[in-house]
Amino acid sequence: MVRPDSPHSYPGTLGNRPIAVQFHAGSHYVALRLLEGYLPKEKLKLVHYGSPQQRFEAMWNGEVDACLVMEPWIALGEKLGCKALCEGHYLGAENASDDMDEATFAAINRAVGKAVDMLNADKRRYLHYLIDDPRYAAALTKYGGLTPDDFHLPRLRYVKATPYTDEIVEDTYHWMVRWGLISSAACAANLVDNRLSEAAAAPVGD
Amino acid sequence: MKKVVSEISGTVFSLPWLIAKDHGLFEAEGIEMEFVRSRPSGAVPHTENSADVNPVLGHVTFEEARVSIYRA
Repeated sequence: MVRPDSPHSYPGTLGNRPIAVQFHAGSHYVALRLLEGYLPKEKLKLVHYGSPQQRFEAMWNGEVDACLVMEPWIALGEKLGCKALCEGHYLGAENASDDMDEATFAAINRAVGKAVDMLNADKRRYLHYLIDDPRYAAALTKYGGLTPDDFHLPRLRYVKATPYTDEIVEDTYHWMVRWGLISSAACAANLVDNRLSEAAAAPVGD
Repeated sequence: MKKVVSEISGTVFSLPWLIAKDHGLFEAEGIEMEFVRSRPSGAVPHTENSADVNPVLGHVTFEEARVSIYRA
């Protein structure tokens, strides 16, 4: 996302220009995945700025040319006239500790899955969680605040948890090795343990 | 009730979890769910080298075994 008066109108002009991300988080990886389609690796100038508010304000204040943010900062930026140059989604992960038992994990996923159904049935009803979050509220108010009408609801995509497929793990592993984000000595099969998620996703009686 | 402590980070990523708790869906499954906020990064040194940043980020509570599940 760039400022309303930014000369950038598509990602291809962002070469060697500072872009605010949080390293090792979604904003970092999505930036690489999106921008590598427009720019050579040596021209990507990603800068660690931390939280989404810090990234947004670095963009808004002109410290950087662009920032990577998620909701509610996208809605705020668009309300203020900022330009979204590209947009991507990524697959999240539920990370459980070794002592999480299968029954508990399955029960949690059933509860969250029901909530996903409720959310998808009426996303607007739950936007107050994003607007009223105490960590964001003051900052959002400073920039004029948000209402449910400011959100593009199809952007909010929620699905029920399913195990990562071997293909997704392998593809992601090789992508991370290529970008130097993980050692090539690491083994993909040892990085993702799907025991709980596969058990939770299995049909009853399986 | 089985007690579970979960880390909550970005609200947009944890939205179904927040809804599940507020609507009693965890309780209906016999889960007493407690949320702990991820540790905010606060002021951070700006760097272009990703190796300068600890990849654990705010998920310190998980690394310290004070929560048993988080999402990223």
